[in-house]
Amino acid sequence: MNDNMPLHWSFNYNHGAQKPQFANHLLKLLNENKINKSIDDNSEEPITYIKQVYEILPNYWKGYNRTSDTLSIGNLVIERNYEKGQFWNYNVQYQNDTSGEDLRFNFHCRDDIYRTLLESWQVDVENHSGDGYSKLLMNGVLNSDEEIQLRINDIEIEAGTVENSLPLTCNWALYDVIPTIANFKIHSGFSTEIALLEDLEHLRPKCNLGYLDSIEHPFPLDGYFLYGEGLLPSYWWVDTVQTVLVSTVFETLVLKEITRGVS
Amino acid sequence: MNGHPNILFINTDQQSWDAISAYGNPYLNTPNIDLLHQNGTSFKKSYCTDPVCAAARSSWATGLYTSETGVPFNGGQLHADILDIGQLLSRNGYRVFHCGKWHVPGRNVRDSFEVLYYGNQNIGAGGAAYYDSASTHAVTDFLTNYDSPDPFYLQIGYIDPHDVCEYLHNHEEKHIPNPLEQGILTEDDLPPLPENFNYDERETVLHRVCRRVDDALIHAPILKAVRNWDEYHWRYLRWNYYRFIEKVDAEIGRVLSILKQTPFWDNTVIIFSADHGEACGSHQMFQKFALYEESVRVPLIISCLGEGVDIKKRHLDDNYFVSGVDLFPTVCDYAGIDTPESCQGMSLRPLAEGKDIPWREYAYIESNYWGRSIVTDNYKYITEYKPKEYEDFLPPGPDSEQLGLIQLFDRISDPWETKNIAVSSDYQDVIDSCREKLLNQESQLNRQQIGHPNPKRTITNWGNRIRQYWEHEI
Repeated sequence: MNDNMPLHWSFNYNHGAQKPQFANHLLKLLNENKINKSIDDNSEEPITYIKQVYEILPNYWKGYNRTSDTLSIGNLVIERNYEKGQFWNYNVQYQNDTSGEDLRFNFHCRDDIYRTLLESWQVDVENHSGDGYSKLLMNGVLNSDEEIQLRINDIEIEAGTVENSLPLTCNWALYDVIPTIANFKIHSGFSTEIALLEDLEHLRPKCNLGYLDSIEHPFPLDGYFLYGEGLLPSYWWVDTVQTVLVSTVFETLVLKEITRGVS
Repeated sequence: MNGHPNILFINTDQQSWDAISAYGNPYLNTPNIDLLHQNGTSFKKSYCTDPVCAAARSSWATGLYTSETGVPFNGGQLHADILDIGQLLSRNGYRVFHCGKWHVPGRNVRDSFEVLYYGNQNIGAGGAAYYDSASTHAVTDFLTNYDSPDPFYLQIGYIDPHDVCEYLHNHEEKHIPNPLEQGILTEDDLPPLPENFNYDERETVLHRVCRRVDDALIHAPILKAVRNWDEYHWRYLRWNYYRFIEKVDAEIGRVLSILKQTPFWDNTVIIFSADHGEACGSHQMFQKFALYEESVRVPLIISCLGEGVDIKKRHLDDNYFVSGVDLFPTVCDYAGIDTPESCQGMSLRPLAEGKDIPWREYAYIESNYWGRSIVTDNYKYITEYKPKEYEDFLPPGPDSEQLGLIQLFDRISDPWETKNIAVSSDYQDVIDSCREKLLNQESQLNRQQIGHPNPKRTITNWGNRIRQYWEHEI
């Protein structure tokens, strides 16, 4: 790997006096990332447990403590296991030092390409920034009419309706959806439509997910994009063994640890 | 309750007046801001006091123009003796809360408000990606738990679409292919270039030195980058800008949904506005810091989801010139508090109630310390003060001898501001009339000398550069 080559524009966020430089930090993480396996690569036993840990890097010159010697502003942990041969159970923690929020998501998805969201979920938020707001609990339900309802502190609100029979997934499940699509190796011109429940809160009813590019540096990676109404383009880079190494929109998430095994 | 309504001031950052789908913009979808419009009175001739964050926000907080507040640009400092809206309301029976972006340097928001959420490192100018969602969570927590008998004033400072600035910064140090080259959009997906992409280069010296020359005082690295853009890059800027607005619209929608389910929904006045606009390719400009319409004209809606407050609904007013200085007296009026005599603004409440009252005939706007504009029904007059030979740090004006170059636009025949007619002697009467309005307006301002060393340094450095341009280029 040649560390002096520029990164792809979609995840190259070097800025002038930044220390350490974004590209160096990102490459260091990718070079050092830890891969744990509780089963042998040649085992025919299906993987039913995956845990990924991503470090969050700031894409821009604002938003992080510039007096610090690290660019890291938090972590994303996505843990899922395949339960009862029926569905994937996700537990996700997104902790961001800049916002001060620590969000925990629990939801279930079908074992299909789009990890279609199942009927109920929970979001538990703590705020560590020290002001009046300290926590929030949200429970979500997708009813039979494809309507999304949220219950927050005993108040119920409508959060939209999934239309056009598009598969509804969640941004945290995209770490499985996009590698699955990448595995099909359909590249040029590939694009599909999904509905996205961003952070299990905001419905983006029609999003475009498609192939962006393939690169060899810093590793052989296939890139995908996602955008929609109210959703700025994000970019997702998948390696040859179908793992998202880097995803980026306003911040860049870089894989630093992955565990695969049997739950 | 003391009988007065709750007041919810929702503000976005860098949202131009027309970036709302209810006003006919086909390139974005803002159902929640549209809902505010449907439930209230919108003002078509709504102008910020100064097209940059801190300056415009200092006017919101005080009801004063920016040459009075001490914050004539982002690095200014609010004069310590000026009363802000939080201080005034809290002394008069209101619980006052702040959430999100504040950006009034020189005034600690925690000294004037009970703060719901202000980020882990205190929110500065940008960072919507980190803070806007958390702000909504904080407001949700507040609205679902508030049980005081006192009415509340809550201001929510959303940062988006200001993150379009980060989008622009992203181009400073690398080449990003246009979206067609990226392969993610087609030409049909993109909004067109604005009608005024090409512009009249006869601009003020201040504007040229701040925004046009190679080593422009403001964001020269972005300027250098966009000079390499093609048409599709510019159109993609507009496309992205509209997605940022849709993003913040969804946050606003969540707040409105929650409010609707609380006991406060029928007795809460909602004021919606933005601190300034975004050029977004108009006049081949980006961001703000300019006196063109895209940067200075902002949404302003007074709304109520219920019938508990007398507000004319589904009304788009195009008669009255309203300004960022009007927020302060409007809030005072709804709160039943006398507006301080020093306040330059006027309460919008009678207008929101559909009353026809005597009103100002123009909007007055300042920019980059020396820039000035008068907007009338027929003309836009833009001018500048030349930096003083000896800088005394008293914001300039009124001083006809010190005025510099002029831009004049016919708002009826040239709404896109593409032809500077100030160069024609046919319009001398109009120029004289506008100058008289400017000087008259400024004679009513209570300008104070700027004392803080940081803004003084900025004024000195900028002044030197502008002076050099006058000496060598004009």
